[in-house]
This record gives sequence, C-alpha cells and structure tokens, in this order.
Amino acid sequence: MATIESIQNAYIDYVLTEGEQPKSVYIFAKQNEMSEAEFYQFYGSFEAVELGIWAGFANKTLAEIRAQEVWEGYTSREKALSFFYGFFELIKSSRSFAVYSIKKQPKGFTTPKVFTPLKDIFEGFADEIMKEGIESTELSDRKYFSKKYKDALWVQFVFILNFWINDNSAGFEKTDEAIEKGINVTFDLFQRSPIDNLFEYGKFLVQNGGIKDKMGF
Amino acid sequence: MADETPGATPEQNSIPTTKVQRSAKFVKTGIKIGGNYIKHYSKKLFNPDLDKSELNEDNAADIYQSLSELKGSALKVAQMLSMDKNLLPQAYVDKFTQSQYNAPPLSGPLIVQTFRKYFGKNPDQIFDKFNIRSTNAASIGQVHQAELNGKKLAVKIQYPGVGDSISSDLKLVKPFAFRMLGMSEKELDVYMKEVEERLLEETDYELEVRRSVEFSNACANLDNVVFPNYYPELSSKRIITMDWLEGKHLKEFLATKPSQQLRDQIGQALWDFYNFQQHELRAVHADPHPGNFMITPEGKLGVIDFGCIKEMPEDFYYPFFSLTSTNLLDNKEETIKAFRQLDMIHRDDTPAQIEFYYTQYKEMISLFALPYITDTFDFSQTAFFDQLYGFGERISKMPEFKQARGVKHFIYVNRTNFGLYNILHELKAKVKTDTFKPHVVLEY
Repeated sequence: MATIESIQNAYIDYVLTEGEQPKSVYIFAKQNEMSEAEFYQFYGSFEAVELGIWAGFANKTLAEIRAQEVWEGYTSREKALSFFYGFFELIKSSRSFAVYSIKKQPKGFTTPKVFTPLKDIFEGFADEIMKEGIESTELSDRKYFSKKYKDALWVQFVFILNFWINDNSAGFEKTDEAIEKGINVTFDLFQRSPIDNLFEYGKFLVQNGGIKDKMGF
Repeated sequence: MADETPGATPEQNSIPTTKVQRSAKFVKTGIKIGGNYIKHYSKKLFNPDLDKSELNEDNAADIYQSLSELKGSALKVAQMLSMDKNLLPQAYVDKFTQSQYNAPPLSGPLIVQTFRKYFGKNPDQIFDKFNIRSTNAASIGQVHQAELNGKKLAVKIQYPGVGDSISSDLKLVKPFAFRMLGMSEKELDVYMKEVEERLLEETDYELEVRRSVEFSNACANLDNVVFPNYYPELSSKRIITMDWLEGKHLKEFLATKPSQQLRDQIGQALWDFYNFQQHELRAVHADPHPGNFMITPEGKLGVIDFGCIKEMPEDFYYPFFSLTSTNLLDNKEETIKAFRQLDMIHRDDTPAQIEFYYTQYKEMISLFALPYITDTFDFSQTAFFDQLYGFGERISKMPEFKQARGVKHFIYVNRTNFGLYNILHELKAKVKTDTFKPHVVLEY
C-alpha cells in the first residue's frame, strides 16, 4: 500500500538515479508496484510530490525544534535561529535531492512554484514569532514595517539556501556561520534602534518645537 | 557598532568572518590609528609637553576593539601580546588584558546545532541538565554548565570556522604586530609560523582531550594541584566535556584578601606545575593566562585548559636552561657557544657585534634565571619586575634588536615563564624554587 512517504522516497530515488522526472505517472506507478489511481490519491502530479517534500522538510523541522526543552525559553531571535539550523541539518541528508530540485528552478525574482507551500509554512512560523517578539518588546513595533519583517526573514532563507547549495566546507560549517550572522543582523534591524529614536525625536520637534509655524505649515 | 565601548557589548551581533570583512575591520582600525596620531600631533602643537601615553591608550583601545570584534585567533593574539608585558607599553597591556575576560557569547540555537552535528542529539538529551547560556567565554570557545548523574560538568564549545580563519587572521594581524613590536614583517614570519602552529593545535579539541588526560595523569602527584576529569565519550572535534571545578579566578581570589600562607601555597603549586613540566616532561602548558586557572575553596590550584602545549626539543632545552646555572654563565666562551646554538648570536656577526649581544643577552638571562639561582624567591618584590620591564623597554628601543634573533622556541617558552612570573608577582607569593631544578650541562 502506497503512503505519502513511500511515494516521496520512490520519487527522490527515481530523480536522483535518472537525473530527471519520470516520463509519466503510469511508468512511475508501475515501477513501484502501485496503480496509477493509488498515486493520484495522494498527489495530482510529480510537481505536487516535490512541493510536498519541501513542505515536509519545514513541518518536520518545526516539530523537531518545538519539541526541544529549551524552546519555551527562547527569544524570537533564537527561535528563528533554531529553525534555520534545524532545517539545514535536516535537509543535509537529502542534499542531492535539494540540489537537483533547486538547480532545476528557473532563475528569477519570484518564488519558484516548488517552494510555495514551504513559504506558506515558513511565513506562518515567522509571523508567529514576530508577533511574540513584538509583544515581549524584543522587537520594535513599527508602522507598516513590522508587517514586512517576515518577508525579510524569507529573503534570508532563500539566500542561505543558495549559500548552502554552493557551500563546500566540511560539515557545512560556513552555512552555520552564514546563519548565525545573517539572522542576527536581520534581527538587529528589527530591534529598537537609534533610528526609532530619531523618528520619535523628529515627531516631537514637529509637534512641540514650533517648526510647523516657522516652516509655514 | 564600531563606536560602542569594549566591554559594553554583552551580545555579539555579528562576527566578521570572511577575509574581506576581517580585512575591512583592520583597515578601519588602521585609519583610526592614523587619526589618533593626527589628534596627538595637533594637540602637541599647543602643548609641547604632552607625552605619548594618551596616544598609546587611544591606539590600544582601537586595536583592542577591532580584535575583540574579530574573536577567534585574533583575540588569541591579543591575549598573547598582553602576556608579554615587558614588550608592550602599559596602555596596550591594560586594554589587551580586558580580552582575557570578556568576549561576547554565541546564540543558543548554534550550541544545539553543534551538538546535533557531532552527537546527533540535543544537549538536553545527552545531559540531565544543560545551561544554554554560557558562563564563560574562552577565546575560541565558550563554556557551559551541565549536569549528568548528579555530577556538575563544564562543557566547552568551539565557535564554528575558527580553524579556517586562523591563518588568514594572522596575516592580518601581522602588520599591527609589526608596528607594535617594531619588527620587520619578514622577520616576524618564523615566529608567526610558530604561533600559527600552536593556534591550529588549539582548535583540535580531540587532541586537547588526549593531552589533558596525559598531562593531568603525569602531574597527578604534585602537591595542591588539581585537574578536572575529562570525558572523551562526551567530547568531539568541537566539544570538550570535563568536571566542573568550583573556585575563583585569580582576580576574584585576590579580592578576598587571602593570607600570605595561602598565596604562597598557590604560588608554589604554580611553580611546581610549570617546572615539573618543563624539566621533567619537556613539554609545557604554554598558556599561563589567569583565565586558565581556578583557585578551589580548599586552596588548591585547578588547571582547566590544555589547549596550548609547547614541546621543548633537546637542542633548545639544554643550551637554554644550562644558561640558568651560574657555572655556565660565568664561562664566557661556553656561554657564547650556547648563544650560537640558540641563534642569538649569528654566524656572520662581527666581533664587536658578538661582544654587544653577549653582554645584552647575558644580562637578560641572568635576570630571567634569578629565581632559579636561590632556593627560595620572593616574587612580591617589584624591584625584580621593574628591572625586567626596564630591560625589555631598553632593548625594544635598541636598533640592534629590530632584527629577529633567537630560535622560534623562545616565543612560547618566554611567554610561559614570564607569564608564570607575572602571575606569581600578582599573587605576591614566596616560592621554593629548588623543587624541580633544570637539568644542565656545563660545556659545549
């Protein structure tokens, strides 16, 4: 009996051995001793399988890091770091597939289709920890911008994914460094900074410094 | 970032790791130092009496800051330079000594990640308790407290990518070392290589565990010296697990105003620990900075770091330590032979040069050997140290010493012994110095 997992594994095995997608669901199903109908019970196409694999990575990472004892004590920054480390540790064992799947995507600025469900999960997670961070005042609540925090994190994610694909260092240590630095810089920008104070000072001056009158507003 | 004061940055936000970033950091420091000079000379225009200590202080602050942001091997070099008090103006020293205590920590998730990488498990799955916040920073790692089967443990974790960056780091430090020590870059090379070798060894935690076990066994019989147990099965390339030693660091210990007797006891333990290794094992714990020692509540010396071991080959050991015996040092001909062996006098030196270096080095060695000559030595006397620093300062100004002399082994052996002297001086300890005597030969 086919399962989501068995189909995913068979699919990964096929593309890695053959270097391309199976010619048809029929051939793929036949090779794996199931009927075409069985395949369609789980997935509508090969693309959907690939989408599912990536989404699976994210879900598995989240389940794993949330089960860690330290999780509850983490700040938002640490939760984000934890996701990144966990994710890249997890996909290490599927690196060949990841490389195959990513290299096949057309270059461009839009998110490749294969990442859409992954992105949804990621953004859901990012949104959650951002809200937590803003609530605990770890992060600065800025009009308009704070809604964009999760986008910035996604940009980081795509960047580090590409970094990892090209990382040749032993144990992908460079990727660890890229994560540590990249996420910390991103969160530094989210935190209250001199720029916030500058804005507030400007606001104060406009309201109380009589600038409005002098400038003829 | 760059304008924050050192010590006021508890969380490190980013470590510049690529060579380009690190270079940028150093270039920035270079520019700042240039600025400090301009500041100095413009002030001097109006106040001709101004001395250079403010300038030195400004420079040291900027160098320190750039080093501490770099972390890793650069910080190690800062620590090393700070040990050689006799080679550096006081202002540099004060700033550099800060680096022995404060280096900002890395994130909790990176700790977890390191464990997963080497053990496939989270730290809380390996230990009964694990404190994700580090308690101490070492220059290439940080220390966490853990507990297993009711035993308190110290877990040292190394920063990722340290080994990779050491060589490129040293290349970057070189121009600064050269400027600070007044030596030429080319001549520094031999020494830098020696430093690089030791530093690379220090990043190998598997080697460190092996050595720690070896050395703590070999030194087990020394009075008042204790070592933690090491757990190789809980250690890996970037993790070391050992017993947690309760105790105080030197500074905290001294703040409790310990009795003379207790200070002597700790001093004696230090002396025995070092001289037993030098003269019996011929390999020595070459990192005598105060952060590597703990003073336990029972008044014993705890040694917690065997990252840096300097082995002394015979062709260095005998000529050098034989000079510490007056019998040889009084014999001019044999002394010069020993100096030649140690490359302190070169083959093509003129007779006048030979005479000059002979006099200088003889003075240096007799100063160094002073504690060995008598049976006991009182390290509290400032006169000895003033003489030592005075000598260091004097030769650092002599053009004859701008060129490199002496075999590379001197770096770590000097660092070890002067480091030891310095700690004993801070302890104001009176020490029996005839416990482990150097082995000497009287002729060459």
